[in-house]
Amino acid sequence: MDIQLKRGLLDVCVLAAIKDAESYGYKIIKDMKPYIELSESTLYTILKRLEAASMLTVRSAEHGGRLRKYYRITDNGLRRIEEFKSDWAEILSIYNFVTKEEISDDKD
Amino acid sequence: MTKIKFLLELNGRLSGLPKNAVEERLGFYSEMIEDRIEDGLSEEEAVAAVGSIDEIAEQITADIPLTRIVKDNINQKSRLRPWEITLIVLGFPIWLSLLVAAVSVIVSLYAVLWSVVVSLWAVFITFTGTSLGALASCAAHIFTAHPLSGAAMLGAALVCAGFSILSFCGCKSVTKGVVALTKKIAIRIKKCFIKKEGHNE
Repeated sequence: MDIQLKRGLLDVCVLAAIKDAESYGYKIIKDMKPYIELSESTLYTILKRLEAASMLTVRSAEHGGRLRKYYRITDNGLRRIEEFKSDWAEILSIYNFVTKEEISDDKD
Repeated sequence: MTKIKFLLELNGRLSGLPKNAVEERLGFYSEMIEDRIEDGLSEEEAVAAVGSIDEIAEQITADIPLTRIVKDNINQKSRLRPWEITLIVLGFPIWLSLLVAAVSVIVSLYAVLWSVVVSLWAVFITFTGTSLGALASCAAHIFTAHPLSGAAMLGAALVCAGFSILSFCGCKSVTKGVVALTKKIAIRIKKCFIKKEGHNE
């Protein structure tokens, strides 16, 4: 897959993983696992990028005698997910058009 | 491998990189390992699941921009003692020329790599141009009632078009290779920096 496209998609995946409630690194990877495998290093880079773009905020909280970082989505992040959904509707209609051509070719 | 050993080894590999960035990443990996242990994995398994130290160190080095590494090093150097500053000022003719030489080597390395790419694309353009020219010449010969020369020109046009397509594929893969090589060289340069700083400390 195109690297830029994949990068954008992974950003939205991580945002979706923290959409309903704040989450932490390992849980994000675990929640995404059934859909897409993500390495720790990649997740770190994405989280940093999203934080710099004010799409999420980070807080440290005590958990079992140690500190754990929790990531919470911001309005900017929620907006990004909505943008992705509307972009995707457009991509899907292009995809339908492309595959429709293939189906009619097969019939010929 | 235990968590402590993993973090110490990773820290050793990253010496010379900005301290804040390294500490933050070590904290991130430490948290990941702890969370895996909490999830039921043994310490060994949790460390293994994070990935190989080589790959992690490589990715972190690639992620941190060279400008940030240099800036961090300059900040560290601002804590130099007066005699060290005097030495740097007095040694100026030596280190400046060495620095200029090092930079020129790097720049010329890049220039050599990219001139290969440019010359290959020039070959591609030449083939395409010749092919089009021969095609035009073929048409001109047919119009001026020289069908044999026209046919020869058509043959030449086809041969050049074939070479042009072949050279396009070659040029494309060479360009991709050079881009990948350029990235690798950038990582190597950063690594040199890290090693030098590591020895200074």
